[in-house]
Amino acid sequence: MNASFLLFTLLNTGFILLVSPLFMSLIKKVKAYAQGRKGPSLLQNYLDLRKLIQKEVVYSPNSSGIMRVTPYLNLAVLLLASLFVPVVFIPDAPAGIGNIIVFLYLLAIERFFTALCGLDAGSSFGGMGSSRLMSLSAVIEPTMVIAFAALAYVLRTVNFHEMFAITAGSTIPESPTLTLISISLFIIIIVETGRIPVDNPATHLELTMMNEAMILEQSGKNLALIELTHAVKQTILMAILINVLVPWGLVTKLTFAGLAVSCLYFLLKASLLAGLIGLFESSIAKMRLFRLPSFYMMAFFFSALTILMEVFA
Amino acid sequence: MNSNKNTVSFLVSAGSKSRGNYQIPSNSAALATPSVLATRYSTDLMINIAGKEPKIIKGKNNEFYIPLTEKEFLTTVPALSEKSFVLISLFCVQNFEEDPDFTLFYIFRLDGFTDVFAFMRYVRRETTSIATVFPSACWYEREIRDGFGIEFTDAFDKRRLFLHEAYPEGFHPLLKSFKNGKIKAIKNPKEAYPFKKVEGEGVYQIPVGPVHAGIIEPGHFRFNVIGEPIFNLEIRLFYKHRGIEKLAEGKNPSACIPIAEAISGDETIANTVAFCTAVEKISGIEIPERANYLRAILLELERIYSHMGDLSGMITDIGFPRMTTPFLILRENIFRQNEFLTDSRFMKGVIDLGGVKKEISGEALSKLSLYLKTFVSQFESATEDAHTSSSLIDRFSTTGVLKKKLITPLNITGPIARAAGTKYDVRFDHPYGIYKDIPPERTIKIAGDVLSRFEVKAAEVLNSASLINKLIASIPGGAIIAETTEFAISNIPDGYALSMVEAARGQNLHWVYVRNGLINRYKVRTASFCNWQAIEHAVLRNIVPDFPLINKSFNLSYAGTDL
Repeated sequence: MNASFLLFTLLNTGFILLVSPLFMSLIKKVKAYAQGRKGPSLLQNYLDLRKLIQKEVVYSPNSSGIMRVTPYLNLAVLLLASLFVPVVFIPDAPAGIGNIIVFLYLLAIERFFTALCGLDAGSSFGGMGSSRLMSLSAVIEPTMVIAFAALAYVLRTVNFHEMFAITAGSTIPESPTLTLISISLFIIIIVETGRIPVDNPATHLELTMMNEAMILEQSGKNLALIELTHAVKQTILMAILINVLVPWGLVTKLTFAGLAVSCLYFLLKASLLAGLIGLFESSIAKMRLFRLPSFYMMAFFFSALTILMEVFA
Repeated sequence: MNSNKNTVSFLVSAGSKSRGNYQIPSNSAALATPSVLATRYSTDLMINIAGKEPKIIKGKNNEFYIPLTEKEFLTTVPALSEKSFVLISLFCVQNFEEDPDFTLFYIFRLDGFTDVFAFMRYVRRETTSIATVFPSACWYEREIRDGFGIEFTDAFDKRRLFLHEAYPEGFHPLLKSFKNGKIKAIKNPKEAYPFKKVEGEGVYQIPVGPVHAGIIEPGHFRFNVIGEPIFNLEIRLFYKHRGIEKLAEGKNPSACIPIAEAISGDETIANTVAFCTAVEKISGIEIPERANYLRAILLELERIYSHMGDLSGMITDIGFPRMTTPFLILRENIFRQNEFLTDSRFMKGVIDLGGVKKEISGEALSKLSLYLKTFVSQFESATEDAHTSSSLIDRFSTTGVLKKKLITPLNITGPIARAAGTKYDVRFDHPYGIYKDIPPERTIKIAGDVLSRFEVKAAEVLNSASLINKLIASIPGGAIIAETTEFAISNIPDGYALSMVEAARGQNLHWVYVRNGLINRYKVRTASFCNWQAIEHAVLRNIVPDFPLINKSFNLSYAGTDL
């Protein structure tokens, strides 16, 4: 492990942890404006996290160790995944870091433990959420594999770091097909973060929930960790889309000025993307549960189309 | 405006014509008034059934009381079912007039008759059930069992209804021998409430409530599902019984107005008007014309804000808050109009015996009329927006279909019944107050799904707004309360009257029995009491995540059911 990578680990993880709650707040703010409300302050998510961390954790008497381990484990897994997606600068990473397949498995581990955690307390809503998540995962996981495969095919590498090094060097997207993949990536962000039209993050209706249902039994510090994990996941997925489609500003060499430029550009681009997500959410109603696979199929279609175009072009 | 092919909509404009085509057994019917016709019809009917002329007591307000012997009753019930009478209420009175025991009142209506038929049956501690012939009797009989301890020996459902297991055995609060006061609750009831059991591979139960995630009233929903589709739903309500009927007993009629107002928060005007009408009929008060107009304006305002809540709620429940906002803003504006007109957002303390308590000036009314013009254009653009959203239509259409064949047996009323192809509306079928002269427009849809309910409620908001404008344009001046009210109430004769109104949720029925100047029995049956059972049927074969939407499209009152 070299010094540049060690520095990257600290900076990249720290930066993502720091800005993730901001994007969550930003989406809320945009949605509020679309509804003609003022909405919560941009700092609200940070304040919420602070409040939750100070509260005690209550466990259901039916729950096992899964309930206690999952919040820490999931955050650790996502922070590890965040190393795969550089936003500050692109380091010389050891082998394995940045590999798409490992990345997909990290997301799968997180999903697996979230679903187990939903079942753990034995409440009916948690079980319902887990069963919904798992049955829909059977559709979204192949879709993600195809989307990332298309990405790998276009950029001729299975490593995110190498991909971004290619895209960052160009002023226009490396290949027009990347625009098509971006649509798939956008859908993956919506699905993976449980947003409308897939799931309603603001819902008060326990019967319609998917992601929220699984964390109903969580409280205090553990809930704060889960919320933070969720925010980090969203930032990582947003970063992939940004680095593929509009990579300008991402530096490949470590300099102080370059670092500042990278961070500033990312903040700007991610804020715009968050605004876009907020607008998208405001323009559409939540889909019927059994309609969702057709939404995922759109991502699948665009990815498959990309591969076809690359093969026959 | 209507983008759904499955829904055929048509407007039925009502007038005296639609009320004229009865099947009358007599040939001199042309000149007779509706109530004479109804007398004649029921006489002929009873001669047919029982073989002798019945004793018919003309009620004070469009109703007939027909006392029956037990034998006559048993032969009458199947005949009524055959003639497609609708059981709209069933209640019990102890010591009615000189009777030492209990009198059961079976209230029926028949399409085409503005009068309702009340069959009286005299019973002791035990009697028989009619729930197999009239399914809507089931809840009423369970209610009577709890309230009075009368056993319906052959009933198929003998479970408790409004008194849960924590109430001691043998406690029947509506008996005259019971005096209002504290009772000792059972801490750990031995028996659990027996929910319907569904067994089989892959069937599992989801218990929801009575405590919910949102700020709503308590209700327990027991789902039996196979995967996501709902196989069976049982609703258990009555978690906050307030004893309203018992509270009213022994009070003088004016003291009961706040009680009527408290039945259900957003049906304040409807329930108070119904109660006051019943008392006015008993005491013979004729309310002034202006008061009649004002009552109708307030009734329609109440319908508007209530429907606005339902419309915005439906859109909220499909996760589309941006589309909800215009409806919420308009609803708030109506609340402000309410406050401006009556000093109360929910219009409490306005209706009084003999008319209305607060004068609403002509200036205030013309301001309201002016506002309604803006309201209508904003409302139309908001519903237009909703109708052009494909994701919204996709969620609403074909969801939670209420079948038309359930409407009559369960006495389902109000906009939800009008969205399923029936046209019953108390304002037309049993007109009261100003609706006799100025009928509203009527909107009917036939699909019975969430989309139809959304469209009917949206159309009714507009119909109410145009009716209010019509009323304001022609409102006469004069007194707002009958001069003789005070005298008439303090000298109120013994008597009873039934009155019905079309509240926002449907047909509300109030029966008041006055004895020695005090209320002896006050029976309220709100539309929600009957309509709750519609949800159990409408959700079948829908998926669990669609339940909140279906529930919201009915939007029934928990408080109005649990008196």
